[in-house]
Amino acid sequence: MLDIPASTLRAWEERYSMITPVRSEGSQRLYSRRQVEKLRFVKAQIDSGASAADAHRLLAEEARAGGVPAVLEGPPGDRRPLVLIAEKDTYASDLAEYFLRTDGYQVAIAVDATQAKLQFDERSPDVVIIDLLISGGAGFRLVSEFAQKGTSQILAVAAIDAAEEALRAGAAAFMRKPLESLQLVSTVRDLLGTSAIVRSKRNQTAEL
Amino acid sequence: MNDRLSSGNSRLDEILSGGLLKNGINLIVGVPGSGKTILSQQFTFANATKEHPALYLSTLSEPLDKILRYGQGFKFFDATAIRDGRVIYEDIGPVLGEDGLDDVLVAIDGYLKHVRPGIVVVDSFRVFQAFATDVTHFRRFLYALTRRLTASATTSVWNAPYTRTQALEAAEFAVADGIIALDIKQIGEREMRVLQVLKLRGSSYKSGEHAYRISEDGFRVFPRLADSLDDSPYQLSDVHTATGIAAFDELLGNGGYWAGATTLIVGPSGIGKTLMGLHFIFRGASLNEPGIIATFQENQAQLERVAHSFGWSLEDPNVHVLHRSVVAMNIDEWVYELLDVVDQTGAKRIVVDSLVDLQSAAADPVRFKEWMFSLAQRCTRAGIGLMMIMEVTELFQLRQISEEGISHLADNVVLLQYVQEGPELVRALTILKTRAMRHRPVVHRFEITDKGFELGDALAVSR
Repeated sequence: MLDIPASTLRAWEERYSMITPVRSEGSQRLYSRRQVEKLRFVKAQIDSGASAADAHRLLAEEARAGGVPAVLEGPPGDRRPLVLIAEKDTYASDLAEYFLRTDGYQVAIAVDATQAKLQFDERSPDVVIIDLLISGGAGFRLVSEFAQKGTSQILAVAAIDAAEEALRAGAAAFMRKPLESLQLVSTVRDLLGTSAIVRSKRNQTAEL
Repeated sequence: MNDRLSSGNSRLDEILSGGLLKNGINLIVGVPGSGKTILSQQFTFANATKEHPALYLSTLSEPLDKILRYGQGFKFFDATAIRDGRVIYEDIGPVLGEDGLDDVLVAIDGYLKHVRPGIVVVDSFRVFQAFATDVTHFRRFLYALTRRLTASATTSVWNAPYTRTQALEAAEFAVADGIIALDIKQIGEREMRVLQVLKLRGSSYKSGEHAYRISEDGFRVFPRLADSLDDSPYQLSDVHTATGIAAFDELLGNGGYWAGATTLIVGPSGIGKTLMGLHFIFRGASLNEPGIIATFQENQAQLERVAHSFGWSLEDPNVHVLHRSVVAMNIDEWVYELLDVVDQTGAKRIVVDSLVDLQSAAADPVRFKEWMFSLAQRCTRAGIGLMMIMEVTELFQLRQISEEGISHLADNVVLLQYVQEGPELVRALTILKTRAMRHRPVVHRFEITDKGFELGDALAVSR
């Protein structure tokens, strides 16, 4: 595509996670028109002498300035709940994304703390799944930061048993990695159930 | 902290401190014919559920139909599990096309998403090595595969036909979390199957070689009996167990052996050692203490005849006979059989006839001593009186008991021998050792009559 080798596309996808195509049933990558736009932008930067990393950084800046959108968005008016996955391991996020998407959620992925914050602010997800060890342990900070805003349900995950610390930081739930598909989906569903109650209560209080 | 999945054999789980590592990579290596496929399938059927199906991938090494055909002969094989989709057999061989290993990764990605297996077995893993252009390529493939499997909640079992030495050098060794090696050892003209854990991340395990057997019940392991010295306190009873020979109880002082004591009866053939054992067992039976006669020579019928001639019967509900031939016997396998009978019967007395047979079944003397120590310790703690009969070739004047230090761990040692008294040859008994009891090392005459063992007076032995 755009004369960019498939292996390069895959490498960028893994490294920068800014242009993440959806997968077909046969695991083929499907790029949206917007994503193709973004790829064209990245390629143009590289053609004019920028490194791949710089090109992606420029893409992110463009996005913040309101240019090419930085994140994958569903079709307009998509009412499916949005789950943001902040996970450094691309294999783990890829699997979680697949399990959640096939269960009817919109999913966004961030590979480091900076991206996670960016996406959180831009898209206000319903649920955030945070690997506590993302960006060298920055996950704990992310949990408290997002929890304080009180707009999303937070599911903390880690390869170590850190349930207590995660809950104390403000997470609504904790799961030990690797995430088991049924458990993940049912936990997210539970969290959304809770948040729906919280929201309706909040609305009731507002009405009073 | 690390969760386990049962291997499908409780005694193997015991060796592994609970089972195979859940969500880990478990490598099973072993020479061809050692049972890697059987162990993998037993594990598969033991753990597959509808929610977390097991995916059994055969590679180019063996056609899937063959694995299935032979697997079906085992009791653990459950066709309904295949029908219900709990166990899914797939042949990944055809995938290994031009792109070889990359295609394997793509296929695995697909399985992890669409099948969502709780278990993935690769049988056998070695074929992947052949598709790697060089070591670096193979290592890169291993890393890529491991990353995928680590990210998913999947327990992996990889089979490979490596010997133990090869396994230590294989690239898979580094990425595996647990490694079980199967081997067939040649001991003299006998073959012995042994299992050894080479690696188990974040956990202890029972070290050394453990015997195993493969039957239609599947894979059965006999953890080597090697209990370390247990210093924890236990109830030392002051109860005495009657020997069944009244005069001998008197001679011992307090009315018999200490409960839970280990007694060694030493003597030449035909002098009456087995008879002492029978007295011990039948006295126990009359006191409602179940007993086990573990014999390697006499079978039930032969033993019944002997018992009958002294007025006893093996029909006694408190008397149990465990008869095994020493041919192709393994001492660990035997001891678990014995311990199972102890569990079933609540036995308080055991007679082993004879120690020499057991010794011949043991691979080496050091191992035998360790094993004997463990058995004696277990019996003592359980308050089980253990009597071991040992045959010696000397008829008179035994100068040395060559028993590899067994008399050391026995609490009591009783010597039976022939003594010349004038022109007559008489039977004589000497207590060589009684732990924690006073005794006089006097030589006593005894006779064998219809009533059994009859202890007589002290002998004035002339030399």
